[in-house]
Amino acid sequence: MKRRAAIGMFMTLTLLASACGNSNGNDSTGGSNNAGTGGTEGKAAPAKISIMTPLHMAETPDPKIEQLIEEKLNVDLDIQWIPASTFQDRMNAASATGSLTDIVNITITGANREAIRDGQFWDIASYIDQYENLKKLKPEVLNNTKVDGNLYALYQGRPLSRQGMIYRQDWAEKLGLSAPQTLDELYAMIEKFTNEDPDGNGQKDTLGLADRGDLASGAFKTVASWNGTPNEWGLLEGKLAPAFLFPSYKETMNFFKKLRENGYINSDFPVTSKTDQQNMISNGKAGVYIGCMCDVQQLYTGLSQVQPDAKLDVHNQVKGSSGEFTVFSGPGFNHPYLFPKSAIKSEEELKQVLAFMDGLMSPEIANLLYWGIEGEHYTVTGGKAVPVSDQAKIDRDVKPYNTIEVGDPATNGRLEGSYDYAPMQKAQDLFADNDSYVVSDPTLTLDSDTFTKHKDRLAQIITDATYNYMLGSLDEAGFDKEVERWKSEGGAQMIEEFNAAYEQSK
Amino acid sequence: MNNQLTAPSGGRGRFMRSLMKNKWLYLMILPGLLYIIIYKYIPMYGLIISFQNYKPYQGIMGSEWVGFEHFERLFQSPDFWMIFSNTIILFALQLVIYFPIPIILALMLNELRSEGYKRTIQTLVYLPHFMSWVIVVSISFVIFTVDGGIVNSVLEMLGFQKINFLLQAEWFRPMYILQVIWREAGWGTIIFLAAIAAVDPQLYEAAKMDGAGRIRQMISITLPAIRSVIVVLLILKIGDVLELGFEHVYLLLNSANRHVAEIFDTYVYVSGIQQGQLSYSTAVGFFKGFVGLVLVIGANKLAKKYGEDGIY
Repeated sequence: MKRRAAIGMFMTLTLLASACGNSNGNDSTGGSNNAGTGGTEGKAAPAKISIMTPLHMAETPDPKIEQLIEEKLNVDLDIQWIPASTFQDRMNAASATGSLTDIVNITITGANREAIRDGQFWDIASYIDQYENLKKLKPEVLNNTKVDGNLYALYQGRPLSRQGMIYRQDWAEKLGLSAPQTLDELYAMIEKFTNEDPDGNGQKDTLGLADRGDLASGAFKTVASWNGTPNEWGLLEGKLAPAFLFPSYKETMNFFKKLRENGYINSDFPVTSKTDQQNMISNGKAGVYIGCMCDVQQLYTGLSQVQPDAKLDVHNQVKGSSGEFTVFSGPGFNHPYLFPKSAIKSEEELKQVLAFMDGLMSPEIANLLYWGIEGEHYTVTGGKAVPVSDQAKIDRDVKPYNTIEVGDPATNGRLEGSYDYAPMQKAQDLFADNDSYVVSDPTLTLDSDTFTKHKDRLAQIITDATYNYMLGSLDEAGFDKEVERWKSEGGAQMIEEFNAAYEQSK
Repeated sequence: MNNQLTAPSGGRGRFMRSLMKNKWLYLMILPGLLYIIIYKYIPMYGLIISFQNYKPYQGIMGSEWVGFEHFERLFQSPDFWMIFSNTIILFALQLVIYFPIPIILALMLNELRSEGYKRTIQTLVYLPHFMSWVIVVSISFVIFTVDGGIVNSVLEMLGFQKINFLLQAEWFRPMYILQVIWREAGWGTIIFLAAIAAVDPQLYEAAKMDGAGRIRQMISITLPAIRSVIVVLLILKIGDVLELGFEHVYLLLNSANRHVAEIFDTYVYVSGIQQGQLSYSTAVGFFKGFVGLVLVIGANKLAKKYGEDGIY
């Protein structure tokens, strides 16, 4: 209870929360902690370790798993849960005020990259080989996190691409549709889901596609990559160019514009939240959801309460006009973990923190962080973890801890999942299927000073222009004008810098 | 020489005496004073970074000085006039449309005969003040959304075209001011009601003897009696010119209405916190504060010129 209150307090006081990070290695607290663990004589005083992580749920989790980790790794853990929607802002503020925790997961672009270059974070390349688990991390993924060839970060693994669509299989069956193979078929499905009364209540009250105000994790970028648009940057006439200069980007905008004009997509999608978007599926109002196929479990949990007979299915291969299936990939990791020197003062402390990260990567802890407690949150059948059916309990006790996993099943020995709910199992298989078709971002390991400094400001010009085009308030000429503005305010320079770096890396 | 030495000590003696005499009053003012010093004056130290290329890890002492570079960038930015005019327009809307409403509401409440009815209405109209902007904006999203929002359903039923209130730039300002009125008007009446309550009832009695009706009484007695309160609040309001409610505008801001909705507060947040241009956004904030200061001084002068008390 006390811990809960403390965590709650930390959530509101994140900016001031550097205290623990700074008091690392303070031996005076050792005595009382030893008394707490009782009977573990000879064990060293638990190391105090603080970490900031995004919280994707409404409430902080039950501390049971945190306590188990503290016990097993002999640490005094301070997890600061920060609501995911404001995580980026809060991290920026924390780094501006110098109140970072021992372990932070921040992006390695923008101002952070400058701070990394300035030596504000520990270079860990020479250390990780000393740790049994950390050295298993994949070099090619670690490589994606490098800055100027130096290694500063550990990572949390992610399948390269989890993008795909989730749709109402029962509606499709009723209307005689099969999973769409091309964008045209997808469009037809969305159209029919809107117009042909798939829920059979005699009213035209359904919606084809539910989307949200997020070009990257919403439907837009996935559809764009199906249509052959490169992942952020691609080769145009032999030179690197941003995705929005490709004709397929405009085609994708037209796809959405047409959907919206005809009322096949929620017309407020640029301001729709993820929760509202998911509710449209869960309420049985909308039929197609494009994004992470991993959301199918959650969507079904909601939907089955409203319409017990409803069926969802997942699907990944939708081909664009080129006739080939392509899908964008992430960098292979979620957030990188960095170790700020402002919080970790000495090499000795760094080793303590790395030892903790190493501990998190042991199979036992990895399972604990991802699946929960065996017997309580999951059971093991045939070498695979089967989550219990009480999703709410998993959400409450386990889910938030997912965000501090280190590595992935291939490296940390975490059990693969076996899901009772067939579409969720199918989604896992489709993640693997995506692997053969992914398009990665070529600038990921390239450097551009303009990109580092003005990425967000410039990106906003394009984001705004893209939405305004899809909403019909900008025509093609207007969009091109905004692209020119992007170029004149630094974009042209960014293109040059990336191309120079690209030539060098060849 | 001698004079110079004794004068300050004499002054200090008087000051100490008055301090001792009114010690309880000074004690009462202390928390407010401390609040102002700690939260308003001390943070001003940070304004220094608007003249630097501030890097958090180099600290205020270690960062490079660049003079007025950030201010120049602001004034030359193509966004500057857009943000400036957006801010001024929202401010003007607040002043012209919102400001009189609490006064009118207070006058109307004052005319109610039944005390119980008046109290109930008063409570009901100021309740929205306790809702955060997140809730107010979310409620209006639900009401005004195109798919299934009540307003659009009614419009459709009456045979009108649906209107996309949330994504049409021209609807941003009406939505903004409507939400401000809904949330703040009731709360704003409190001070005016208090001022009205302080009016000497004999004045009304005398007016009634002279045959003045209710409207006449309102115009000739109530309004002049609360005039100085109105002026003070107006000056304070002008001081808040650039405090148009960051949270509120930020929540309403989206890609489609950015060209009318971006104001200094949101611009500072986006460029400073989200895009990490700390020095630049501090310069923007500094400029905003400066404009506010000029406006308050101007309004105060104007008020004094027309024979009012002003705020200092």
